Amino acid sequence: MLGELVNIFIAAVLCWLLFIVVDVAFGLPEKGGVSGADAIASSVDRAGGDLNGGSMMGNIVCSPDASAGTLLAACGVYAAGVGGGLTAAVLVFIGNRICHDPGYAGTTGAVLATFMVYGLGMAGITAAECIAGMVIAILTIQGISHVQASRLLGKFWGWRT
Amino acid sequence: MIPVLVCAGIGLYAACRVVLEPETPRKLLYLSVLNFAVAGSIVLLVPDIMALFAAAAYFVGSTLESNAIASTWAGGVKRT
Repeated sequence: MLGELVNIFIAAVLCWLLFIVVDVAFGLPEKGGVSGADAIASSVDRAGGDLNGGSMMGNIVCSPDASAGTLLAACGVYAAGVGGGLTAAVLVFIGNRICHDPGYAGTTGAVLATFMVYGLGMAGITAAECIAGMVIAILTIQGISHVQASRLLGKFWGWRT
Repeated sequence: MIPVLVCAGIGLYAACRVVLEPETPRKLLYLSVLNFAVAGSIVLLVPDIMALFAAAAYFVGSTLESNAIASTWAGGVKRT
């Protein structure tokens, strides 16, 4: 049981790094992709957070991004191996188009996550643990303190620009 | 079993935060955590390729709904 918890923690850290790096590389914190993402960003900003970090959080809410890609890729690998992960990448691509998102952060994240989850499987961390890890990773950004999370994301965006 | 319990626990926590948060745009941030937890739980409980399609359909649908609620709250589509 303790080993499983340690594996979930390691998976959470790796998933967190993957989706943050891909989302920041694709410029999600730059601005909201739709007016709703801007509304979420300004709400976080009003609460004392960072506008760029809030924009990234708004974009995560409004369209499947790399975090969604990582979750669904882990689900795909759990259900059907690498083929399932790549199927999830196609589903994320379709989801992006449905949500009026012209970007490729979600699809790229899903493809990268497929290989990461498969590689972790060979290292002893199962896809099920990666799914739980990804849910913990998104909890740390969207579900604990929006102000602190947006400031952290804004800092990452500052490093990139 | 532990991954399912982690997802369920985080889902319950996120649902409580959605109810307690007074501001609509920030409710949607907690709602996205709930969506992640539910999508993960669907596949963990039913390890089948069709469950992946169900989880993806649920996730994309709920994301689209959050998108619609946030955009409506922001005043709808801005046409220039």
